[in-house]
Amino acid sequence: MKELIASVKKEYLVDLAMQGKRVDGRALDQYREVSIERGVIGTAQGSALVKLGNTQVMVGVKLEKGEPFPDTPTSGILVVNAELLPLASPTFEPGPPNENAIELARVVDRTIRESQMIDLEKLCIKEGEEVWAVFIDIYVLDHDGNLIDASVLASVAALYDVKPPAVEGWTLPEFPLRAKPVAVTVVKLNGVMMVDAGLEEENTADVRLTISTLENGNICAMQKGGSGFFQREELEKAYELARKCGEELRKKL
Amino acid sequence: MAEAKPEKLLVDGRRLDGRRPDELRPLRIKAGILKRADGSAYIELGKNKILAAVYGPKEMHPRHLQQADVAVLRCRYNMAPFSVEERKRPGPDRRSMEISKVIREALEPVLFLHLYPRAVIDVFIEILQADAGTRTAGITAASVALADAGVPMRDLVAGISVGKVDGTVVLDLMKEEDQWGEADMPVAVMPRRKCITLLQMDGNFTPQEFRQALDLAFKGVEQIYEAQKEALKEKYLPSLEEGR
Amino acid sequence: MLFVENRELVVPGRLLAEGDYFAGEGTFLEGGKIFSAVIGLAEIREKSISVISLQGRYIPRRGDRVIGIVTDTHPFGWILDLNSPYTGNLMVSELVGRKVDVFREDIGKFLRIGDAVLAEVREVDERWRVQLTASERGMGRIRGGRLVEISPAKVPRVIGRKGSMLKVLEETSGCRLEVGLNGRILIRGRDLKKVNAVVEAILLIEREAHLSGLTDRIKAKLEREG
Repeated sequence: MKELIASVKKEYLVDLAMQGKRVDGRALDQYREVSIERGVIGTAQGSALVKLGNTQVMVGVKLEKGEPFPDTPTSGILVVNAELLPLASPTFEPGPPNENAIELARVVDRTIRESQMIDLEKLCIKEGEEVWAVFIDIYVLDHDGNLIDASVLASVAALYDVKPPAVEGWTLPEFPLRAKPVAVTVVKLNGVMMVDAGLEEENTADVRLTISTLENGNICAMQKGGSGFFQREELEKAYELARKCGEELRKKL
Repeated sequence: MAEAKPEKLLVDGRRLDGRRPDELRPLRIKAGILKRADGSAYIELGKNKILAAVYGPKEMHPRHLQQADVAVLRCRYNMAPFSVEERKRPGPDRRSMEISKVIREALEPVLFLHLYPRAVIDVFIEILQADAGTRTAGITAASVALADAGVPMRDLVAGISVGKVDGTVVLDLMKEEDQWGEADMPVAVMPRRKCITLLQMDGNFTPQEFRQALDLAFKGVEQIYEAQKEALKEKYLPSLEEGR
Repeated sequence: MLFVENRELVVPGRLLAEGDYFAGEGTFLEGGKIFSAVIGLAEIREKSISVISLQGRYIPRRGDRVIGIVTDTHPFGWILDLNSPYTGNLMVSELVGRKVDVFREDIGKFLRIGDAVLAEVREVDERWRVQLTASERGMGRIRGGRLVEISPAKVPRVIGRKGSMLKVLEETSGCRLEVGLNGRILIRGRDLKKVNAVVEAILLIEREAHLSGLTDRIKAKLEREG
């Protein structure tokens, strides 16, 4: 996902970071303006459009009847897919999902699945035969950095947007949800840690860590990305940022 | 997969295979076992059997994939169709594509890629028999194979997974623990500087358990690092000793 | 302060020295300390420390003598595989030693794909384009002889200190050797048996490159078999 960025720009960003500053005047632990719009798509059972500054991610949730997996006959199915649309960046190309799209989808999948926010057992219609499948489709519309956090926010918002669905055969009073996981991605720029990297910051940083947390501060998913590394103490700091910023983000859900 | 969950994964502080929470499975690493590859290694960790091979640095084709200032590292993590209970459909899937990416990013920090602009280094990891922890064991083997290929490196990279079973943080999950446990966290480390180059996690950790898990991972990595160095010495020492 | 002995086997990342030492080949500096970058033998020469790599690819350097194999042609010359991440370019004028009007003369008569060429690295530019020259007497297309390939890391041993090993190989067998630093070695001799003995000796050197007393053993072996 890295784009070439002029070294003079990189140096500038690094210089700023070393002084605890950022190019758009934000604090190191400050997100860009977050906006969450729900119910933006009528044909989906749940949907949301999330903006982190200029980054825009739309998520649509569809419910369909399907067969359960043989090893979990009483459990509903969760499928997460992400599309890095060519209209979202000059570096995105049409074609089957590449490793970046797959990683994005799988990090969101783990966050939702491991948080157990969806009570999949309640989505069983007939044991071993029929269950509800929840399809989460992530549509990246404008890539200006930090797609993971935006995609998790949009997915959770879209899931909470699912109304007692007007889908044929639906009998539950409501969509069974029970947690609000939030992902916070911390990038490291010449040793300086910051959250919600903009595109230039993201392309200057050599490493990132996503930490998905629950309401009680527990961690439900993590993913390191990029070709750099973290020291042990930096992980502690990253967790603190994830907990603090996660709380703020969760208030918006 | 259809096996029932054992009632307990931990009885009197012992795991299903008799290990204590902080114990590794039996580990064996061998360097330089493939003739054609520039470097290679084989690892057994418990029931895992994994081969890693390195080709390069060599000329990058197609040319448009060349990087003007550095060598490109390519990694392919692949599971043999016969490596798991049910036959796995051959070829890359979403899981293996993601794993290939995080493995590449776990190895990149130790390589001096700027020494070989426009070239490519290929790392192939083949899982012949899988029993949980294959990505981290694959990294362990791949870094030995890179050293065996004579690729300049800052350090080796050693990987291990830690997790939580029956509420206890444990080292080196085996298949049943991976399947039924409450958390799984693969970690790779540059042992000399204690830098973390791979970190993933799924499940549920309290912050305290996360710290414990990291401590355990570092402990495990120390042992793996020793085994890596031994494997390299085992290959290269004999011819040197004779001459003395 | 030193942390290794001379000729000790070291792995990548091994701390070699700290303080007033010069970081030589196969090493790197980090925070004022010198570490090994490769698997190899630590070599301490007064205040300089390096690691002789036991493996690794050939990287072209100006002045190196190499044996390339023609893999492609272009209107003004050829591309040669150098058993390296980088290919070599040989312009026709650098082969025949004069200006050639490529529009009048068919350069296909000089070299074909698959030909082996003894050449010298004339220049390596910052983009890692390697220019070769082969116009000197004795260079150019290789006709006849037996070509063997060994690990480029082992070539210095085949040559020996001040050419001692090479001298033994040539004098005891009566064969002529052309050693490419890229790991390709050409052996020329009338007696097939002697050529084969030299090939075997070279492969033995590759296998046991770091044994001491190797030169004497090779000499004895060749004398026995010759």
